[in-house]
Amino acid sequence: MTEMSKAAPLPALAPPTAEITPRLRAITIVAVVGAVSVVIAFTCGGYWLSNFTQAYCMALAVLGCALLYGQLGLVSLCQWALVGVGGWVSLRFYHYVHPPFVLTILVGGIGASVIGMIWGLPALRMRGLYLALVTLMLAGAFQSLVTVISFPVGGPGFLGQVGASGNDRITMARPVFASGDTGYFLFVAVVTVLCIFLVEAHRRSKPGRAWALIRKNEQMAAASGVRIVFYKAWAFALSGFLAGVAGALLAGLFGQLDGSAFPTTTSIVIFIGTLLGGYDVWLGAFLGGVLTRFIPALLIDLNVNTNAGFMIFGAALLFALRDPLGLGGQLTLLAERLYSKFQAQRAS
Amino acid sequence: MIKIDALTVQFGGIKPLDTLEAQFSAAICGLIGPNGAGKTTLLNVLSGFVKPLEGSILLNDAALLGLSPQRRVSLGLRRTFQQELVVDELTAMENIQAIADHVSADHASARREVAAALDFVGLSARRSVLGRQLNLFDRRMVEIGKTLIGRPKVILMDEPGAGLNEVETEQLRRLLIQIPSVFDTQLVLIDHDADLIASVCVETLVLDFGKRLAMGPTRAVLDDPVVRRAYLGRE
Repeated sequence: MTEMSKAAPLPALAPPTAEITPRLRAITIVAVVGAVSVVIAFTCGGYWLSNFTQAYCMALAVLGCALLYGQLGLVSLCQWALVGVGGWVSLRFYHYVHPPFVLTILVGGIGASVIGMIWGLPALRMRGLYLALVTLMLAGAFQSLVTVISFPVGGPGFLGQVGASGNDRITMARPVFASGDTGYFLFVAVVTVLCIFLVEAHRRSKPGRAWALIRKNEQMAAASGVRIVFYKAWAFALSGFLAGVAGALLAGLFGQLDGSAFPTTTSIVIFIGTLLGGYDVWLGAFLGGVLTRFIPALLIDLNVNTNAGFMIFGAALLFALRDPLGLGGQLTLLAERLYSKFQAQRAS
Repeated sequence: MIKIDALTVQFGGIKPLDTLEAQFSAAICGLIGPNGAGKTTLLNVLSGFVKPLEGSILLNDAALLGLSPQRRVSLGLRRTFQQELVVDELTAMENIQAIADHVSADHASARREVAAALDFVGLSARRSVLGRQLNLFDRRMVEIGKTLIGRPKVILMDEPGAGLNEVETEQLRRLLIQIPSVFDTQLVLIDHDADLIASVCVETLVLDFGKRLAMGPTRAVLDDPVVRRAYLGRE
C-alpha cells in the first residue's frame, strides 16, 4: 500500500443541492444491487452465473481497495492475495469445525483482516513507490506460499492435505438455503449489499471523518486528536475483512480453492478496477469489481486470448486518468443531479 | 498559560530556536518576527511535531515535552495551520465534528459544542455546505471553529488572517477578541499583520533568529526601536 500525498483533484462540477439522506442512500444501494442481481439471477445460468458470482466477490475486493485509496490515499497491491488468505482461513475453519456457512464467512473475513493489518504495518512508516513494491512483493510471497502448501481439502494436520492421490478431497458445502447456483448467487448479492452498508457506515461516521483528516494532512489530523496509527490500522483491517469475505464466498462457490487462482497480477487488476469504477462512491467499487471479472469472462466466451483484457484495462485507464470520478462517480453525480432537479420541481 | 524555559531546537547546524525563555499569560498573546525567526517552529514544538534539543514547556503546570500530539490535544491544546486545511469532501459541520469525535466528552456534548462553534463563527446556516464550496473566509472560520471544541485551554493560531481582505480581517479581529471570554481559553496568535496583532493581542513575543528579541505589552513591544528595526524594517 503506497500513500499518495495528494489525490488528483476532483473536477469542479456544479454540485447537486438536494441532500441525500442515509435512508435514501440505503434504499438506492438495495434497489440498484437488488435489481441488477435479480436480472442476472433470472436471465443467466451456468457459465455466466458463476462468473457474475465471482464478479460480486471481486467487487468486495475492489470495495476494500477503494476504501484504502479513497479514504486514505493508500494503494493496496495485495488485495487479491488477501482474498486468498480469506479463502484459506475459511476452508481451514470449515474442515476443522464444520460450522454454519455464515460463521465460516465471518472467520474468513476476520482472518484476512488480521493479516491485512499486519501487511499494512509498512504503510505506517513507508511511503510512495517503495511501499507499493513491498505490498506487491507480499502478494507475490503469498502466491508462492499457497502454491506450495495449497488450500485445505479436509486432510489431517494444519495444512489439511490428503496426499498425492487426492481421493479423499472434501469440498466446502454451501448454505442449505442457497445450495443451488442461483440461490448462492443471490446469497452473495445479499452479502455484497451488507458489506457496502458496512463501508458506507464507516465512511459517514467517526472513522470516515478521521480518515478524511488523515488524508488531508497527518499533522492536522494529529492536532485534531486523531490517533493516526489506530485509524490506519482500522482501514487496513476493514479492507482485509472485505477481501476475506470475498475469499470465503469464492470457497463456497467452488467448494475448494486452487493456489493458481491467486496470481499477483490480479491485485493490480483490482486496483485498475478501483480507478475505473471510481473510488469515492460505493457504485464505483461495485461496477469496478463486476467489470474486472466480466471482461475476462466475455473474452473467454468469445474465444479471445484473456491477455487482451490487460490491453482493454490499460486503454480504459486513460479514461480513468482523465476522470478521477470514475464510471460510478459519474453515474452517481448524474443521479444526484436528476434527484435535485426532481426535488426542486416538486418544491415549486 | 504556557511557560517556555531554555527551549532549543536544532536542525543540523541551524538553531531555529535558541535557549528561548517566554511566558504567555495574557488572554491573547501575539507571536511575531521576520520570516525564519522560528515562529512556526515554536508552534510545532508546542504541538508535538518537532522535538527540541533541550528545554521545557509547561501548559498550566503540565509538562508538554514527551507527550504525543494527541495527548496534548486532550490536555486542551488546539492549533490552526498556516495553510488552511479544511477537508473538501466534508461539510462545514463534519469538519468541526471530526475533532469533536476525539475530544468531546460524549455524543451530547459533541453535538452541543459543534453547534456552538458553528454559531460562533457564523456558519450555522451553511453547516451542510461542502468544504470545497466554501470561500476562503468561511474555510478560515471552519478552522477556527475546530479549535473551539472540547474546552480548549490554549489555542495556537498560525496566520489565521492570511489571504483575507480588509473587511474579512476586521470580522476576524472582532471574532478573535471574543474567543477568550466566550470559550474561557487563551489565544496565541502568529500573524504578519502588525495592525491585527496590535489591535487584538494584550502582550506579544518577538522572535529573531530563534531568540527572544522582546516581550511585553503589545504596544510597547511594537514601539520598541529594536523591534521596529528588526521586524518592521523602520525606526
